[in-house]
Amino acid sequence: MLSTSFPAPLSTATFAGKTISSPPFHAKSRRVLISATASTTEPSCTSLYEILGVAAVASDQEIKAAYRRLARVSHPDVAAVDRKVSSADEFMKIHAAYSTLLDPEKRASYDRSLFRQQQPLTVTGFSGYGCRKWETDQCW
Amino acid sequence: MAEREPAYTVASDSETTGEEKSSPLPEIAIGIDIGTSQCSVAVWNGSEVELLKNKRNQKLMKSFVTFKDEAPSGGVTSQFSHEHEMLFGDTIFNMKRLIGRVDTDPVVHASKNLPFLVQTLDIGVRPFIAALVNNVWRSTTPEEVLAMFLVELRLMTETHLKRPIRNVVLTVPVSFSRFQLTRLERACAMAGLHVLRLMPEPTAVALLYGQQQQKASQETMGSGSEKIALIFNMGAGYCDVAVTATAGGVSQIKALAGSTIGGEDLLQNMMRHLLPDSENIFKRHGVEEIKSMALLRVATQDAIHQLSTQSSVQVDVDLGNSLKICKVVDRAEFEEVNKEVFEKCESLIIQCLHDAKVEVGDINDNLVTNLCKITEVYKGINPLEGAVCGAAMEGAVASGISDPFGNLDLLTIQATPLAIGIRADGNKFVPVIPRNTTMPARKDLLFTTIHDNQTEALILVYEGEGKKAEENHLLGYFKIMGIPAAPKGVPEISVCMDIDAANVLRVLTGVVMPGSRITVVPVMEVRMPMVDDGHGWCAEALNRTHGATMDLVTLKKA
Repeated sequence: MLSTSFPAPLSTATFAGKTISSPPFHAKSRRVLISATASTTEPSCTSLYEILGVAAVASDQEIKAAYRRLARVSHPDVAAVDRKVSSADEFMKIHAAYSTLLDPEKRASYDRSLFRQQQPLTVTGFSGYGCRKWETDQCW
Repeated sequence: MAEREPAYTVASDSETTGEEKSSPLPEIAIGIDIGTSQCSVAVWNGSEVELLKNKRNQKLMKSFVTFKDEAPSGGVTSQFSHEHEMLFGDTIFNMKRLIGRVDTDPVVHASKNLPFLVQTLDIGVRPFIAALVNNVWRSTTPEEVLAMFLVELRLMTETHLKRPIRNVVLTVPVSFSRFQLTRLERACAMAGLHVLRLMPEPTAVALLYGQQQQKASQETMGSGSEKIALIFNMGAGYCDVAVTATAGGVSQIKALAGSTIGGEDLLQNMMRHLLPDSENIFKRHGVEEIKSMALLRVATQDAIHQLSTQSSVQVDVDLGNSLKICKVVDRAEFEEVNKEVFEKCESLIIQCLHDAKVEVGDINDNLVTNLCKITEVYKGINPLEGAVCGAAMEGAVASGISDPFGNLDLLTIQATPLAIGIRADGNKFVPVIPRNTTMPARKDLLFTTIHDNQTEALILVYEGEGKKAEENHLLGYFKIMGIPAAPKGVPEISVCMDIDAANVLRVLTGVVMPGSRITVVPVMEVRMPMVDDGHGWCAEALNRTHGATMDLVTLKKA
């Protein structure tokens, strides 16, 4: 899964189109792909609700249940061998969606942005350090 | 000491990270719980977890290696007829308290009261450790001693399972730094074992708990609603706490907290209480002193055990050299001399609950392993076997074994026990990945230069909870070069940290100039830890040589 095509405009936090391949002893099992986009012109594929496969009115219980259900297939510890490479990124995305939607404040502000701008969304509120918006790998 | 295993085969001391494991058939990894004082092994036998026993039918074996005979032997194969025999200076124990620590560490200093030799020169290197054999101090290292012990465990397991053992899941204290983890991995490598996973002890218990909850909910066709559990474990060497949210076989670690406090501290505080000047008296570490020390240690141990059932105890022991102790000790005194230890336990629990954003009322189950006094305790798990059983289960899960009855449809979502960050803003520790971040994790933070035309930046990576950089464990350092000449505060230096599900940490850095979106120097990718021997003074030397010329500050963007 070497990256060949990358979104051209990358945020300042990006290592443009950098594919991080693990050291040889891990090469078969793992390859990290880092790119980031804070760009509003680069459409990202899904809303946080879509990532978790829940409705926009989903309760905390539904969000938790969806998170667990997805974790059981996407977490690198349980993902099929041929999917280990992408599963870490996938799981991080799911976890970011889960932790944003489970935090009432973050969810409210996310909902506002969703509503107001109707713009493609990237994963926010992920790190607690402000506005770094990681978008990892291609959409799934 | 009747049976003797064949000669030890301890593999080379070199790092074995470069291994490729590719077996056609999945080999089930065994679970090992190496405790400070006791050790156990368990394996998934196809339908359940089975604890293995040694030839004396023991599931829990004492963690020690004695050098008194020609070939060293450990607690798997040998046994002392009396507790005193372990304390003649020829036996090394408490390895887990010593591994990966430098000679300035207070835990190492406290270990100087042990009968074998722990010598410190207080300069930040590994302590000198030796066993007294025929009036010769024979040097060794905690890694070597652990490796010898692990070889015995491996042979025992191989004999039992009739197959070679290679992969292991090891439980570790929450408070272990990444550097200590590499020392453990090295000990395993020396014993011919490959570490598949290192699990913080309470998370192994959480996995077992998760399985039991899932079973229960299947049986009752329950809703599988989320259960919050507080897991508290205090052993001889370490105290660990975890808060987990469990449902449907998924255990999510909400928070972890741990500290190097345990039964050993209770014992040493009590010894000091009984013989206030004991440290000075035993300092010389001569044969006579070691004997007295052994007598005091055993007498104190007995007294503590008795105090768990009676309110006071008479300590009457002749230590030789006209040193006699004749004292009545009551439980209040015991609690008083160990006040700090108990307070620390309490603060760990409070911190863990706070980090997990959980109130005491939200907790469904208290899981307490080893010693403690909490009123309501979950009864489903044997306190002394929970961690090893969880490790064995993780061994099966991580080996890709599936169980037709769904007993292995389990997942533990781990969290980072310690923050990881860099030195910046003067001498501050700036976390990039805060503690209790769900793994796998990837986070980044922007920094900038502090001087005009600063072309180089030094990245010092630390792990820990201290506010100042030097209060944390140094994991490694490297220099970013080729930063374009610009006024201070202009270049954007991005520091990204990536931890995968197997807990491998990589640090990536790039430099971006305003107006551009592409890093102007090649990205540096550094696997941590890279510091080889806990050299705390590396940072000091770097500071002495380079001062603040390559320093960074966090970039605050409007």
